Amino acid sequence: MTRQKRSRSRLKRAVAPYLYLSPSLVIIGLLMLLPMVTVIGYSFQNSAVLRRDPSFAGLKHYQAIFADPVFWASLGHTLYFTCMSVVFHMTIGMIFALMLNSDRINPILRNILRVLYILPWLFTAVIIAVIWRLLLEPNGVVNSVLIQLGIIGSKIEWFSSPETALHAVTFANIWAGYPLFMVSLLAGLQGIPKDFYEAADIDGAKAYQKLIFITIPQLMPIIISISLLDFIWTMQVFPLIWITTGGGPIYSTEVLSTYTYKLAFSSYNLSQASASAVVILLISLGLTLFYIRYQKAR
Amino acid sequence: MAEVILENICKTYGNNFRAIDQLNLSVEDGEFLILVGPSGCGKSTALRMIAGLEDITSGSLRIGGVDVVDMPPKDRDIAMVFQSYALYPHMTVSENIAFSMRLAGKPKAERKKRVDEIAKILQLTSLLDSKPANLSGGQRQRVAMGRAMVREPAAFLMDEPLSNLDAKLRVQMRAEITSLQKQLGVTTIYVTHDQTEAMTMGDRVAVLKGGVLQQVDTPKRLYESPVNAFVAGFIGSPSMNLFEGTLKGDELIAGSFAIRLQDAAFVRRPGLRSYAGRKIVFGIRPEHLYDSGLESGRKYQTLPAKVTSIEELGSEHIVHLKIDAVRVDSGDPDAVQDFGMASNAVAKFEPESAVHSGSEIRLALDDSKLHFFDPETHLAI
Repeated sequence: MTRQKRSRSRLKRAVAPYLYLSPSLVIIGLLMLLPMVTVIGYSFQNSAVLRRDPSFAGLKHYQAIFADPVFWASLGHTLYFTCMSVVFHMTIGMIFALMLNSDRINPILRNILRVLYILPWLFTAVIIAVIWRLLLEPNGVVNSVLIQLGIIGSKIEWFSSPETALHAVTFANIWAGYPLFMVSLLAGLQGIPKDFYEAADIDGAKAYQKLIFITIPQLMPIIISISLLDFIWTMQVFPLIWITTGGGPIYSTEVLSTYTYKLAFSSYNLSQASASAVVILLISLGLTLFYIRYQKAR
Repeated sequence: MAEVILENICKTYGNNFRAIDQLNLSVEDGEFLILVGPSGCGKSTALRMIAGLEDITSGSLRIGGVDVVDMPPKDRDIAMVFQSYALYPHMTVSENIAFSMRLAGKPKAERKKRVDEIAKILQLTSLLDSKPANLSGGQRQRVAMGRAMVREPAAFLMDEPLSNLDAKLRVQMRAEITSLQKQLGVTTIYVTHDQTEAMTMGDRVAVLKGGVLQQVDTPKRLYESPVNAFVAGFIGSPSMNLFEGTLKGDELIAGSFAIRLQDAAFVRRPGLRSYAGRKIVFGIRPEHLYDSGLESGRKYQTLPAKVTSIEELGSEHIVHLKIDAVRVDSGDPDAVQDFGMASNAVAKFEPESAVHSGSEIRLALDDSKLHFFDPETHLAI
């Protein structure tokens, strides 16, 4: 083989993998990177989209957002909504997974519970929003049950009162999201060797000690991965809040996603909306990098 | 330290399957007892019942004079080494060893002192901060031993602790565990399916089959005087050859050949005469069959055989043979019928033997080493 032929075949071999990857790279570029870059561009323009020749605005829109008290309120609500959701998703998911994994519960009952517990996962955000709006209506089931039990004295307007609205949407989101944790943790629990618990029994471990010293450390990789993913996803939740409260009343359930949506499609301030979207992107990006680093470290 | 006494222990599962049937066993203080048997014989179940990991359906179990049937595992004063070692992957060697002390709320200084002592005995000192994933199989095995030793229990229970090691390491660990047990003097019950481990490690060996105890004895007596054909076939490797024969006068007739029995055989077994004219099962171990062409085989009577295959091991030849006799199954479910129907006997020849596959030979047999069993009950005569 001549030197020229050899170098050509070497080039072919070097290029081939990228050719195989090219369709997906093109799709990702067109559908993800291009819109992202466009939005970042809009955030630095005056009257983006609305004018044919928008002028450069510098950091003006970012300054405007950071000066807006509603933005800071939304950020606070987003953090509350996300942190509470993740913590309770994990706690409830863990409790249910432990119950479903326990051999003290009758196997038939366990199968029924497994189906019941996973139900919230089957509903789309719209259905969940409608269900909880009906349940939490002033004349809804929740109020009447709580009054019957004597826990509350009068009807509460869960979604319409600024004091309760954020808690109510968070509650609905918790209800909708725990099955992911439950299913993942259950799979993890089933993977823990029985010997570990038997050895601990012989060593004299009580139930809570087995949970602390064996179960939780064994589930830690799953807990961390799913928590990070849940954090990233929950931060971006839009439809549930939009359909239940629309961010109100008086901004009490405004989160970054509804805040951005309103800037864009109620005020038609697409430049500021883009700046807000970039802020959300940066926060998500930070979390994602953290997640990737954790996955790599494993 | 304590003795472990099992009386009429039974274990029946929900589907009426009886895993253990009337098990009576007495393990003396400081004794090393091996529970051995083929897979599914109930040996691990028996051990787990002693540990308290399985309920006892009926019977009594005493450890150190205390009835422990209704006690949880932690109160039985036992320590167990699992087949998988059950080391916690997220804890270091030192944390694994000290785990039971930590649960008991022992102060850190005391824990460290005890762990250091044990690590020294087991040569684990340099590994105390490692995680189990970074240890070799033998090291993990030692950590599992350390975790059992830390509690100074009345009895050690070991469930096939060497089965995950490679053959060479197994031989080494066998010796280590035996000498450690002698050094500590703790009553030990050791489950294995490997009859070499059973023969080399224990003071006494209990052979189980189908949940029923067959024989408890010293390894030497198990080998020399098995109580039935199953024990005869199970103990020893390769297994004892068992054949059907008929006793006629002083002669044992099998197929086309006859073996003349000496008076000593009848003197040692008074019951043997009563089988005159009847069917009988006789057995001979592979090491008591000789190549008649060699010096060692000259003094014995011979019978015709055909060599079907040879395994040359260097120190000896395992020779598979076809002889004109009907082979009898010892009842060991793990036993592999060698090469289908091609061979029905196995012999251990000296490496000088020149026999080769396919040759017709005269097989020498030491008739003083024959074993006899009842054809119906398979009990030794």
